[in-house]
Parts: sequence; C-alpha cells; structure tokens
Amino acid sequence: MERSAIFPKSRFQEFFDLMQEFGDVFAPRRVSEKSFSFKQVKNPSEIAFEALRTILPPKKFFFQQRETIISYDENGVRETKPKVSPQVLFGLHPCDLAGLGIMDKVYSASPPDPHYMARRQATLLVGLSCMPDKHCFCKAMGTDSPTSDYDLFLTDIGEDYFVQIHTPIGLQMVGSKKELFSGSDETKSQAFKDFWTTRDQAFTSHFQSENLPAIMDMEWDNKVWDELGNRCLSCGNCTPVCPTCYCFDMVDVASLHAQAGERVREWDSCQFVGFAKVAGDTNFRPGPVDRLKFWYRHKLHGFEDPHGLPTCVGCGRCTESCPAGIDDIVSVVLRLQGKPSVLISDRTTGATNSDCCGSDGGCGSGCGGCGSTHGSTSGGSPGCGGTDTGGHPHA
Amino acid sequence: MTAGSPLPSIAVHGLTGCAGELLVILENLENLIPYVRVSSFPFAQSKNEDDRPVDIAFVEGSVSQPHDLERLKKIRAQARWLVGVGNCAVWGCVQRDGCRKESAVAMFEKTYGDKSQDDVMPSTPLSDHVRVDVKLSGCPINSTQLLAVTASLLRDHLPYITSKPVCLECKLRENACVLIENNLPCLGPITAGGCGALCPTFGAACYGCWGPSEQPQMEAMSTILQEKGYEMNEVMSRLFAFGAPDELFERVKRTIPQVSVDTI
Repeated sequence: MERSAIFPKSRFQEFFDLMQEFGDVFAPRRVSEKSFSFKQVKNPSEIAFEALRTILPPKKFFFQQRETIISYDENGVRETKPKVSPQVLFGLHPCDLAGLGIMDKVYSASPPDPHYMARRQATLLVGLSCMPDKHCFCKAMGTDSPTSDYDLFLTDIGEDYFVQIHTPIGLQMVGSKKELFSGSDETKSQAFKDFWTTRDQAFTSHFQSENLPAIMDMEWDNKVWDELGNRCLSCGNCTPVCPTCYCFDMVDVASLHAQAGERVREWDSCQFVGFAKVAGDTNFRPGPVDRLKFWYRHKLHGFEDPHGLPTCVGCGRCTESCPAGIDDIVSVVLRLQGKPSVLISDRTTGATNSDCCGSDGGCGSGCGGCGSTHGSTSGGSPGCGGTDTGGHPHA
Repeated sequence: MTAGSPLPSIAVHGLTGCAGELLVILENLENLIPYVRVSSFPFAQSKNEDDRPVDIAFVEGSVSQPHDLERLKKIRAQARWLVGVGNCAVWGCVQRDGCRKESAVAMFEKTYGDKSQDDVMPSTPLSDHVRVDVKLSGCPINSTQLLAVTASLLRDHLPYITSKPVCLECKLRENACVLIENNLPCLGPITAGGCGALCPTFGAACYGCWGPSEQPQMEAMSTILQEKGYEMNEVMSRLFAFGAPDELFERVKRTIPQVSVDTI
C-alpha cells in the first residue's frame, strides 16, 4: 500500500506524541562534535534532525551487540527469551532502511532468528529524507529512495512534512490523529517532487554499479588490494558500523557455580585475524590484504549464497569510520573500473607523489594538483587527495 | 565438585609488579571462596602453604630479579595450571620497555647507586622462563575475565580469551572515535581489548596497557600516527611502553630505517 498525507513542521511535537503512543521513540542524538547515535528520546528537542549517519546503524536494535542466547544449569538448558517492548525508530534515511531490508532477509531466512524477529516485529520504522554529503553514495547502490521496509517516511518540503504511508500500521498511526494530518495539494505534491529532484542532483560521489559484480570478479588480483590492505589496521571498525554486516562470535561463559553458564553472542568482524582461523591453526584469510578484499567482495559482489546480493547500501559509514582511510568505496570502485580516482594509498605507493607534493612526503594541504602526472593512478587523477580522503586530516 | 571432596586450591603470587592484579583478585575473593580454597596468598594472608601443590597458581608481575625467577620456578613446579595475570606477567610491561632503553644494570645503578646488595636482571614476561597455561593480560585485569578463567579451569577447560582489538569494544559502546575525530594517538586498533575501551570512552587515547592484539598491524599503525603528525620517536615510545615483544619492535624499525633505537 502507498498513501500520503501532510503535516506542518510546526506541529512536530504532536507527531512525536503520536509516535510515543506506539512505543519508546529512538532517534539520532548528537554524541560528539561530529558523531550521532540512535538513542531514546523523550522530547523532540533531543533529536538531531541534521544527522546523516549515526556511528552504529539501526541494526543494533534487532541484532544486539552482545546478548545471551541460552543459559544452562543443573536443571537443563533454556533458551533466553529476548526482552521486547514496542519501539519506534525515527529518522532513518533511505540507506538505513535498505540496510534493514537486507538484515531482514538474512535473519528471517529459515530458520529465522527468534531474537531478531521478535524485536523487529515490535518496531515501527519512521524514515526521514536527507541531503547527501561527500561520503553518501546510496544513489550508486540504488538505495537512495525509500522503496520498502518502512511504516512511514517523512520528506522535508519546507513548512511541512510530506508523509508516505507504507503499511497498515502506518495508516493506523496517521488515522489515530486525523486532526494533525491533511491531504496533499498540488503545490505540496510539487514541492515533494522538487525535493527529490534536487536531492538526486546533490550527489557528488557516484559510480555506475551495473557492472559491479563482474568488475569485482575480474579485478580480484588488482594491486589496489595490496596497497590498501597494507595500510589496514585490522581494527574492524568497518564492520560494526556497516548496516549489513551480520557476523557474530558465540562463546560459552561458564559460571563459577558448578554446572551453570550461558552462551553469549557478540558482534564479530571478518577483519580480525581469528575470524577465519580453523583447527590446526589454519587460516583462510591470514593477512590484512586477504581480509580487506573479502569484505569488499561481500559488500560489492555478494557471496555465492542464497542471498547472493551486494550488501553495500552506500551510507558512507565505513568511509568515515576507517582510521586508515582505506574504506573509500567510491574511489576504489572508480579505480577498479579504470576511471580517474585518487586513493589514500597513492600517497605512499606512487613514486611520483613525493615529486609533486614536495618534501613533506605526505600530500599536505599545499598539494595543488598533480594532474595526469601521477604515474601510479590509472587514467590520471585530479589531485593528490589532499582535500578529500575520507575526512581524515593530514599530517 | 561433589559434596565432601576438598575444594580445589588456588595460590596468588606477585613478582615484580604494582600489585594491581593482586588487588583485583582480593576484591573478587568473596566470589571465589565458595568454590576454591586459598592455599597461598602472601599479599592477603599470613598463613600460607607455599610448599604444597595447588590446582591454580595466579602469578602477577614480571621476572626482574634472580629471586623472582627462583620463586617462579617453584610455583610452576607446584601448580597444575599457571595463570599469568596482568600485563607485567604476560608482556613485561613498562619495566621491560625501560630495559630496552638502557641496560638493566645501568638503570639499577642510577636508581639505587652502585653499593646496593640487590641483584637485577632484564625484566621479562613469565613465558620467557616457564610454561604459562593461561595468559590473562590487563592493567589491571578485568574481574569478569578473572572469574571466567577460574570457572573454566575448575572444569578442566582452557578458557577462551580473545585478543580482539580495543576498537571492537569501543564500537560496541558506540563511542565517537578519538583517533579520527580528535586526532589523538589512540592505540586501540593494535591493542588487545578486555578493558571495555575504558580510555576512549572518556575521550582519551588508548595507550596500549593490555599489550598487543592478535597479530597487530604495527607498520600500518605507525604510518597512520606519523600521518597525523606524531614524531616517530613518540610513536615508537607509545607502541612499546607496555612491553610489546621485540619482534614487533623489529617490524616497526624495518619500516623506518633512519630511526636509531638509541634515540628512543
């Protein structure tokens, strides 16, 4: 179903009260100068409407960082029932909705995960429109507009919010407070269309994704993986922040009390050396290059599994969260496609870098433009990356 | 354990260290006591059975003096399981890093003069001398891990201790990254977690007190800190303050041939 309605921004408090009638409300809140986090809000003034991406994606509400799955004692083994209460997530952008769509597919596949499903079923999703920054590339991944996986979606059209209603419960929400909502008119519908046209033109990071799986296959041995992988810290930051990374570790924690203990599930990362280690001290992906390439492949190509889909939704969290600046997915894809692109590793691997960047050896802010003299880049490069390498300040 | 049979015994010993681990164990004694008998704990009790075998011996501190080594060998001979607790026991900690900067003897004489009757040797972790069954790092150790290790050993299981990096714990807590946002020289990416990312949670850089994570990417870490403007000497000093092993030291040195160890 798809219907729409309008409500004035000046009456957001009433919309907030309405959400609270359906559960505890969680929305992006500012937690530092540059970072946001989905947390419970009791007052609209706590919401950071300007938040583009939170540190952790909303998957944390369903697939929790750490949780007990079963417990055991001398009387036997018991499944731990997840604690669930009705909740409304507000302020999810299209990339996050798409990410949850992928998580839903994975965790609802037979046999469904009871913890994930119980929390998912108790949750309403209220999306919110956004304007991309330099790290956003959802348009390239085809996840730039809300297509499913939401109950309501709010588009900021100036004085009002244009509300797309996607589910029966979304309709019930709107229907339970009729005095707040009105139908759209021609002007407001036009404003809605204009917003999405403007937004579509606002993307500065983009690539053609149609050939992505084929490119990932044919460029498996590209030297870019070595260059980036050798900068990799194996810190694993890229995976918890990814809306679709779903891997976990499972450990049994024995209690001092004889016969008792619990089995705990905790987020894990394919970037850790122990992740692919098996008996006999064999490791399928022993080095950071192997691990980085593996992760990129899952995101941009997909596994040979029943889901088989590229799992990147273009939110830019990994780009922003990588201390080494190597999760610059857009630039990596462009490089693999043979298009002009500058990577952070060019600074350390390109012999011509030091020639053009002077004695600081590291592309300081004085780096004007290397033009096509960059020997190490394919297709020439517009600069040394001194101004835009994933938000990481230079030395 | 069956009713009537004697409780498993534990011993708690301190070599050269700050007694931080001993304090953590002392604080947790009330949790342990229903399940174990404390046969020796010189830090906390006056009557100790130092000459009898024990099931689990917890040893804090590094080996820094000949009498440390004698004691350690005796402890090893009497213990079924030997658990090295804390960074000093597992990696050697700051006293080991100090020994890298100048010889242990020179340092000793500077501190105590040349007339001291004590003897000294370069500070080293326990596993340089004896078999260590479980290495539980920390500065100090984490209570939950201590209890979990004890619980596992009481069931004859070797405990599962990961050394995934601090970054994982930091992200699980959803902290803003101090390495990225504040350009602090945070060693979270190459340091073993277990502390719950304590320092970054309060806005400070991780300074590596739990020792290296599993296969730390030392070269990448030093590259990234240098790109942020930290001098190599400072980077090296931070990377090795808590007794990281020489092979890691060598790896970083290979990336920067111009740096002399003497200058650090």
